[in-house]
Amino acid sequence: MKKLRALLPIMLASVFAVTSCGVTNTAPSNSDSVTLTIMGKRTDLQKDYMVKIFERYENETGNKLDIISVDDDQYETAAAERLKNGEMTDIFLHFHNADLSRFDVEGNFCYLNNESWVSDLTDGAREYCTDAEGNLLGLPFWENSVSGCYYNKTLLDSLGLKSATTQAEFDMLCEALSATGYTPICWPAEDCAWMPQFALDPIFADNPDMLEKLNGGEITYSDIPDVKNMAQWISDAADKGWFGSNYLETGWDDISPAMSSGGAVMTFIWDTWFYTDLEDGGKYTKDDFALMPVFMNTVDGGTFEGGNINMMMVNKNSDKMQDALDFLSFCADAENYNAAFDGIATVSCFKGQTTNVQSDMVTDILPSVEAKQRVSTAASRIVGYSADDMVKVINELLSKRTDVDGCVRMMDEYRRLETENRYADETVQ
Amino acid sequence: MKKRLGKIFLPVLMCAVAVAVIVIGLVYFNYISRRIYNDSTDHLEEIYGQVNRSFGMFAERNRGLLKSLDDYIAASDSGSGAVSDCINENRQYWKFSEFYFLSSVNKSCMTVGGAADSFTTDDAWNGLAAPDEPIIASGRLPDGRDITLFAVHSHGGEYNGFAYDAIAVSYTNEDLAASLKVDAFSGESTCFVIHKDGTILLSAQAGGSVFGNYLTYLKAASDLDDKGLGKIQSDWENGASGLKQCNIGGVSHCILYQPVGYQDYMLLSVVPQSVVSAGFLSVQKTTMNVLSIIFLLVGAAVITFIVIRGHNMSRKSMTELRYRERMFDVLSNSVDDIFIMIDAADYGVDYISPNVERLIGIPVGTVRKDIRVLEKCAINGSVVVPADELTEIPLNGYINRECEYMHQSTGERRWYRMTVYHMSIREVRKYIFVMSDRTQERNMNEQMQEALNAARSANEAKSNFLSNMSHDIRTPMNAIVGFSVLLENEADDPEKVREYTRKITASSHHLLSLINDVLDMSKIESGKTSLNIERFSLKEIIDELGIILAPQARIKNQEFNIHVDGATPEYLMGDRLRLNQILINLLSNAIKYTPENGRIDFMITEIPHSGDQYVKLRFIVRDNGIGMSDEFLEMIFTPFSREENSVTNKIQGTGLGMAITKNLVDLMGGIIMVKSKPGKGSAFTVELSFALPDFAESDADERKSTEFVYDAEALKGRLFLIAEDNELNSEILTEMLAAEGVKCDLAVNGAEAVEMFKNSPAGHYDMILMDVQMPVMNGYEATRRIRACGHPDAADIPIAAMTANTFAEDVKDAMEAGMNGHLAKPIDMNAVKSLVYKLLTGRRK
Repeated sequence: MKKLRALLPIMLASVFAVTSCGVTNTAPSNSDSVTLTIMGKRTDLQKDYMVKIFERYENETGNKLDIISVDDDQYETAAAERLKNGEMTDIFLHFHNADLSRFDVEGNFCYLNNESWVSDLTDGAREYCTDAEGNLLGLPFWENSVSGCYYNKTLLDSLGLKSATTQAEFDMLCEALSATGYTPICWPAEDCAWMPQFALDPIFADNPDMLEKLNGGEITYSDIPDVKNMAQWISDAADKGWFGSNYLETGWDDISPAMSSGGAVMTFIWDTWFYTDLEDGGKYTKDDFALMPVFMNTVDGGTFEGGNINMMMVNKNSDKMQDALDFLSFCADAENYNAAFDGIATVSCFKGQTTNVQSDMVTDILPSVEAKQRVSTAASRIVGYSADDMVKVINELLSKRTDVDGCVRMMDEYRRLETENRYADETVQ
Repeated sequence: MKKRLGKIFLPVLMCAVAVAVIVIGLVYFNYISRRIYNDSTDHLEEIYGQVNRSFGMFAERNRGLLKSLDDYIAASDSGSGAVSDCINENRQYWKFSEFYFLSSVNKSCMTVGGAADSFTTDDAWNGLAAPDEPIIASGRLPDGRDITLFAVHSHGGEYNGFAYDAIAVSYTNEDLAASLKVDAFSGESTCFVIHKDGTILLSAQAGGSVFGNYLTYLKAASDLDDKGLGKIQSDWENGASGLKQCNIGGVSHCILYQPVGYQDYMLLSVVPQSVVSAGFLSVQKTTMNVLSIIFLLVGAAVITFIVIRGHNMSRKSMTELRYRERMFDVLSNSVDDIFIMIDAADYGVDYISPNVERLIGIPVGTVRKDIRVLEKCAINGSVVVPADELTEIPLNGYINRECEYMHQSTGERRWYRMTVYHMSIREVRKYIFVMSDRTQERNMNEQMQEALNAARSANEAKSNFLSNMSHDIRTPMNAIVGFSVLLENEADDPEKVREYTRKITASSHHLLSLINDVLDMSKIESGKTSLNIERFSLKEIIDELGIILAPQARIKNQEFNIHVDGATPEYLMGDRLRLNQILINLLSNAIKYTPENGRIDFMITEIPHSGDQYVKLRFIVRDNGIGMSDEFLEMIFTPFSREENSVTNKIQGTGLGMAITKNLVDLMGGIIMVKSKPGKGSAFTVELSFALPDFAESDADERKSTEFVYDAEALKGRLFLIAEDNELNSEILTEMLAAEGVKCDLAVNGAEAVEMFKNSPAGHYDMILMDVQMPVMNGYEATRRIRACGHPDAADIPIAAMTANTFAEDVKDAMEAGMNGHLAKPIDMNAVKSLVYKLLTGRRK
């Protein structure tokens, strides 16, 4: 989810020349070896497991990798420009199947359905890399997290309470927690960009037709009762004190102190957050937390959001296309990916993945996660969706500057403006 | 005294009644509250007792079902399918969700369909470990749904190879909750089946499954202390019923618990206190409302009675008060006095007479809002009466002020005398303002004062005038009389005679000049002077000034320069004589007060201006004479003012010339300025505007006729007809003309003159000198008759007026009567010669 937070600025970044901002690492030349060009975001390419797989590939095959790393916020534009200009790049990294509208996917990339390693992909990972027609667009090779409602199990047990399985139970849980004096949910209003997505994902993931109508302009958010249900629930939850008292001044950096101190009992986050962001030394550690679905009044049984996975896509116009496909096969080899992801906290992308560290929080309720997990849909599939705009709209609602209906109307209006802006940007380019 | 006691007794009695009613009401409410609360809790216990019994019956029915099925299964062949058919039939009838064969030994289970490990719970195995029945246990299905199991020890056996020692049916908690749900209490009650340790087996409320252990939750969320919690825990351990009140999350709740009767389960009901007492609250509210209404009605009746009584009592006095107020309004409307009463504490206006709008122009309502609005009307914005002055007025005392007010609508200013009284009305301090119009009285006083001042001033002026005149007239008269006496004594000495005669002549001229100026000044100041606007030639005036004044300057060997702006128009419309008088005054003064060998400059320039219908001229007379002090310059235009110094004392002057000049300039709408320094000289600047004539023809002949070259032989041999009633004057004139070679025929009045002229042959007389004021026929009438008599010379014989009437109006009258010139008395021979020559040379023969 953190990556998703960074995704929007990247998509909106202005055009910059790749050469002016990128850094090229050229492998030593070898007359018998093949040199493949890989382009990706700087921070993505610096991940330990990526560095490991690149080194392993070069060492074991004798081939070389020409790594083109681009500043994160300029990558989308730079990659699109590079494809458009025909500058040869063999492999592109891209965040799953979200917002590929700027690339001519069919004209530029290989479909990978028939690759030998496809059967080794977990269903969840494969889903993230497949387009609407069922074409596998890339090899998922990334740390995979599960987003949901993470709660302080130790605290809940001490209060004689249990996790919820339905919306009614979740509301009851919040009510019961409020009665004990605890803040049920940490709602970082200043940066809550990802939270409304949890509510919107099941609406559109479960109803593709509705998504199509929304994107086609046949309907708006205002025509979808569940969108209003979401807004109503957020408004009611705030009114009932479920977000505590100073949620409007709460941001990303406040989540960790709140959760580690017991100041809040639950929050909507992802499992890897507990490995990367939960501060040490607090009263509670990651072992005190457990996972249940997110309930925001749009799906009774709750929902989980699957990981946001980077995938490797092969340029079908490259004269080294086969070498690039071979590189993907190298990465999808169990020995290689287990070596790369050794000790990395992630949900498995491959069925044979054994060396990664899987969170107990997820594995404890894995059947439920698999049953209720939805692909991240709102941010990636709704045309004109802006996480930042959602923060503004929700905060207008929470600040009582608008009511529930007004909030939904604002969602529509912001989405209309965002769509027009994107269209304008693309027209200019 | 009796009346006063009555006044105290009634309120006390009313208070006592009110207190009694309140106390009785509270006691009643307390009693009713307890009764209704007890009824409510009884009702709560009864309802949940019924629920408990229903749940017990439900459990008992399931136990009976399981026992009969156990018997049937034991008697049946497990492989025949009859068992599964029987169980499925019962499932449809009893609506249980699953049937289980249980092995307490292996802690495993099998469904009738053959599935194993279909639920997870330790509850069931713990229950089966005990010999008691029936067994109720909780479990969770693989899909996350919570279930409740009803189990019995069985005969034992095998079902499809699974060795079992107990059987069970399960219901999903969602289905089972319906049997525990209570519609009473507005659906806000919560019902749980719990273990004695507080663990929740089953919740009847949607979402209630999030409660894991209610005892633990109560510890965290309620305000129960250890003793209260210990009592509940003890009751639950002992399977005892109980009812507790506590706050959960700040809301008062009733907690009711009863043993289910199976194993150690308890039925726990949690209901908000407000819901339990809803009925009570309703009755209480209704009762309170009824009593409140009754109390209010009684109170209202009493108050109404008191009010009506008070109203009736005050009605009469109010009516009288209104009458008085109305009468006062009417009265104040008919006078010009304003009445205002304000409260001494806050200066709020209690009363203001309605005539304030008529007299000051401010509506009554505006003054009522804020009396300070009156300050707006006071001239110079003065405070009507400052607050600190008001507070200093002693009680029953008053102060007086006079203020001038401006009417806000008409702008009219009026004076008011304001009397402010400080009074106490019913022990409330008031200020009463009475504003009386004193405008007429004040105006009258002012007029009287002005008249008095004017009279004083006039008297003073008259005294000054007489004093001045006495001095100024006596001085030349003294010389005339004195030298006349000396002349008589020294008649034999021709030298002395000439000297005395010259001095007498000089004094006579001075006296004449004084008299002319005084009369002129008098006429100007009396406002009788008017301008005679006619077309005239500026060049002609300038030439004449040169002719008249240049000789005087030459006598003192002064340089006399005339500078004319070449662009200056020749013909103008204006009063030629007055302009001439102004310029002669300035130029003759310049010559007079400039020593010998001095210089006098006379400059005429046109001042640029935007209009084309008139011309603005600047006349500057500058000399390098004796000049004037700054002190004298301040009073130079004041009549009879002359600077006193060694030089001026030797120069004769009336002290009226500049005053006359200034008045004439003012009369002509111009300005006069003077700059001077003693010993350096003076410069007088006069700026005057003149209308331009419709046409400016150049009349060369006329100009030529004004060119005057004196010819000493011109008068010799001429015959004049002189009409003069004063014998002395006629003798002087005759002698003077005879000295110039002129012969004269005398007529003693106008009629005689007319007859003599009519009877004369044509060309007999060269000129007629006509006195104006004469007996029988005055000069004007005589002239008109001469002009109309038909004599051949009647039309063009020159006739000149000889009169002491020397004003411009007199000259104008003479001209209108048909005369051709004007000579002022006493006759100046030089003026006579000039005029005669001018008239004679212009006469067409």
